[in-house]
Amino acid sequence: MPTKKPTGTKKNTQETAHHTIKKLEEENTQLHQEIMDKNDKYLRTLADFQNYQKRMEKELQAQKEDIKKKYLLELLDLTELLKKAYEDSDPKSGLKLLLENLDKFLEKEGITYIDCKGKPFNYQLHNAISTIEQSECVDGTILDEIKKGYLVGEKLLRPAHVIVAKKKP
Amino acid sequence: MSKIIGIDLGTTNSEAAYIEAGKPVVIKSVEGQPYFPSVVAFTKTGEMLVGEAAKRQAVTNTEGTVQRIKRKMGTNEKVNLRGKTYTPQQISAFILQKIKKDAEDFLGEKITDAVITVPAYFNDDQRQATKDAGAIAGFNVKRIINEPTAAALAYGLDKEGDQKIAVYDFGGGTLDVTIMEVGGGVFEVLSTSGDTQLGGSDMDSALVDYIAEEFKKRHGVDLRKEPKTLQRVLEAVETAKIELSSTLQTDINLPYIYVVTGEPKHLEIKLTRTKLEEIISPIVQRSEKPCRQALQDAKLKPEDIDHVVLVGGVTRMQMVQKKVEEIFRQKPKREVDPMECVAIGAAIQAGVLSGEIDKDIVLLDVTPLTLSIETLGGVATPLIDRNTTVPTRKSKVFSTAADNQTSVEINVLQGERPMAADNKSLGRFHLDGILSAPRGIPQIEVTFDIDVNGIMNVSAKDLGTGKEQSIRITGSTKLSDSEIERMRKEAKEHEDEDKKRKEKIEIRNIADSLVHSTEKTLEELKDKFSSEDKENLEKALKELREALTGDDMDKIKENSDKLTQELQKASTKIYQQAAQQYQQTNSGDPSKSDESWKGHPSDDDSTINADYKVKGEKKKKKDEDTE
Repeated sequence: MPTKKPTGTKKNTQETAHHTIKKLEEENTQLHQEIMDKNDKYLRTLADFQNYQKRMEKELQAQKEDIKKKYLLELLDLTELLKKAYEDSDPKSGLKLLLENLDKFLEKEGITYIDCKGKPFNYQLHNAISTIEQSECVDGTILDEIKKGYLVGEKLLRPAHVIVAKKKP
Repeated sequence: MSKIIGIDLGTTNSEAAYIEAGKPVVIKSVEGQPYFPSVVAFTKTGEMLVGEAAKRQAVTNTEGTVQRIKRKMGTNEKVNLRGKTYTPQQISAFILQKIKKDAEDFLGEKITDAVITVPAYFNDDQRQATKDAGAIAGFNVKRIINEPTAAALAYGLDKEGDQKIAVYDFGGGTLDVTIMEVGGGVFEVLSTSGDTQLGGSDMDSALVDYIAEEFKKRHGVDLRKEPKTLQRVLEAVETAKIELSSTLQTDINLPYIYVVTGEPKHLEIKLTRTKLEEIISPIVQRSEKPCRQALQDAKLKPEDIDHVVLVGGVTRMQMVQKKVEEIFRQKPKREVDPMECVAIGAAIQAGVLSGEIDKDIVLLDVTPLTLSIETLGGVATPLIDRNTTVPTRKSKVFSTAADNQTSVEINVLQGERPMAADNKSLGRFHLDGILSAPRGIPQIEVTFDIDVNGIMNVSAKDLGTGKEQSIRITGSTKLSDSEIERMRKEAKEHEDEDKKRKEKIEIRNIADSLVHSTEKTLEELKDKFSSEDKENLEKALKELREALTGDDMDKIKENSDKLTQELQKASTKIYQQAAQQYQQTNSGDPSKSDESWKGHPSDDDSTINADYKVKGEKKKKKDEDTE
C-alpha cells in the first residue's frame, strides 16, 4: 500500500527525533548540572579567598601589635633604668652599662652605624644638607655629620645627614 | 586585559595606584614608600638618579639635579644637565619611568597603560607635554585627567547626581582651588585659583623662626645658623605639628642642642595649639582669597557648593580644616588620605577604563552572626565565625559525654553569646545508633555547609558506623539589621557575666572528666596501687563527686586539685616501682636507659598529661548528654 511506507518512515523519523530530543535533554540536564557544580565551586573558592583575606588582615594586625609590644618592652626597661640613673648621684658607671646594653640590643637587631666623616659622599647612604666651598679639599668629601645614619642589615634605616665639601673653582 | 595604573605626577612628589579586586591600592616605590620626590639627577659619573636618592644628593650636585620640572611643562624651556639638554617632557619621563618600573616590580607584571593627572589649570600644551612624557616613558597614556577630578572620584562624587564640588589642594609648596560641576559622570571645571608660592614649608619655617627666637632670647644663640641645630629644630617642628592635631599642648625637648661656653644647653619649649595656630594663621589666612576668587569666577556662593574635598598634607591640620569649613560653610570631606587622594582617583578612572571596576563583581554574603552547636554543659561551640563569606563549609569532630551514650543531639545556634541558651536556636536533631562505647571514644563529625543563598545544611556523621543525619536551615545569613545589632549589643553587654558562666561550666567539665578518668584508672590499676593510695584516691574522688552535686565552684576546684595531686602521687609511685624493676632487670647497662630517657624531649609524666589534654579537649567539645 502506498500510504503505509511513508507512515512507517514518518514513524521512524519521529522516533529518531524523539530519541535525539531525549538525548539532548539528558545532555542538557547534565551540562546544566555541571555548570551548577562549577559555579558552586567557583563561588566557594571566591568565598574562601575572601575569608583568607580577612584572616590575613587579622594576622597582620596581630603581628604588627606583637612587634610593637616587643619594642615597647625594651623601651620600658630603658625608661626605668634611665629613671634610676637620674636619681643616682653618680650615674656615670650605671649609664655606661645601660649604653652597653643598648648597643648590644641594636647590634643584635643588625643595626650598624654609617661612618661617614672624611669619606666621599654617597647618595645611597648620605643625605646632603648643605655644602661648604673650600679651595683646599677633595670635592665631595664629607666634612661634618649632622645626624648619624644607620643601616639595618644591608638596608638603609636612616641616611646620615651630612655637610659636603665643594672645591672652589 | 592588562592593568591600567593611575599616576599623580606631582610638582614635589609623585605616586601611583591601581585597582585590585575593586579596591584602590597605592603602589609602593622600590624604597618602600607610597610616594617619592619628583627629583631627577645626573651624577658626575653620568649615573641617572630619580626620587629619594636624587633628592639626597641635590645640594652637592646643583648643576646635575632638577626639581619641580612640572612647572616648566608645556614651555620651550630646556634643562641643561651635565652638558646635555633635556626637554621638560624628557625629565618628566624619567620620573614616569621609575613609576613604571616600581609598579612592575610591585605587581609582578608588565604595565603599559596609564592615566595621568594634571592640574585643572593646565592648558592644551601642558597636557600634550604630559602625554608626551608618558609616551617617552613607554606608557600608553589612556587619559589625562584633572587632579581635582581625581580627588572627587576618590570620594565617589561622580555617582551622586548633579553636584557642585570645591577641591582645596594645599600641598608642600602650592595651593590650588578648583570649583567643578559634575553631572552624569562628567566633570566640568567652573573655575580655578590658587597661590603658587604658598605651602606647608612656609608654615614650617614660621615655626622654626618662633622656636629659634625663643631659644635666642634665653641663650643668645641662633639655632638657624648651624645646619646641625636647624635640622633638629625642623624635625621637632614636624613632630609637634602632628602631635598638636590631637592634643592641646606639646613639649618640644631637644637635649644637648647647643654648647654655650663649655656648658651644654637644652631646648625646652612648651607649644600650645593656640600658639601654633597663631603662628601659622597668616599663612592659612592667605588661602582664603584664592577660595573667594574661585567662587566668584564660578559665579557661585559658598551655599551653592555641595561638597568640599581636601587634598594635600597640609589639610591634615585642624586649623586648615576649620578655615575651609568657615569659607565654604560646611564640613569638608577628609576620609581618604589627602596625600593619596589624587593617585587613588586616577586609579579609579583607570579601573573604569579597564573594566576592572564595572565588571560584574560577585557580591557574596557574609554570616552576620556566629554559628555554633551546643556542647557539654550548655556551651555554644562555634563552627563558623561571624563575618565569614559564604558559601563556606566547616567541620569539627565531637564525641560523647557519657559512657554508652548512643544518641547525641545537635542544637544549631546563632549568636555571639558563649552559652547556648542565650543564643537563637535555628534547629535541632538527633543522631541515633551510636555504638555503645566509653565517653570520648565515638567520633561524630558535625559539618556546617552554607550555600551561596544562605541555606545551611547541618549534618552529623558517626565516623564509626557511617550513620548520618542532617537538617536544612534557611535564612542563616538573612537577618534584619536591627536583629543583628540587638544580638551583638546583648553579647557586648553580657560579656563579663557570660565569661564567668563559661568558666564555671569549664571547671565543672574538667572536674567531671577527672572523676571519670580517676574511676577508670582505679579500675585498671587496682592491683598496682597500694591500699593506702587507693584509699586516699577514693576519698578524694568521693569528695569531688559530692562537690559536683552542689554549686560551689571554689569547692569543686579545690577538690579537683586535691584529686589531681593524689592521682599524681599514686602514679609517681607506680612509675618509681617500674623504674626500679627495670633497673634490676637491665642492671648490666644502666647508661642505655639513661640515654633513652634523654632522647625524649619530655619525660613520661608529661606524656601522660598530653594524653589527658587530648581527652580534655575533646571533652570540652562533647555533645550534651542525652536527656
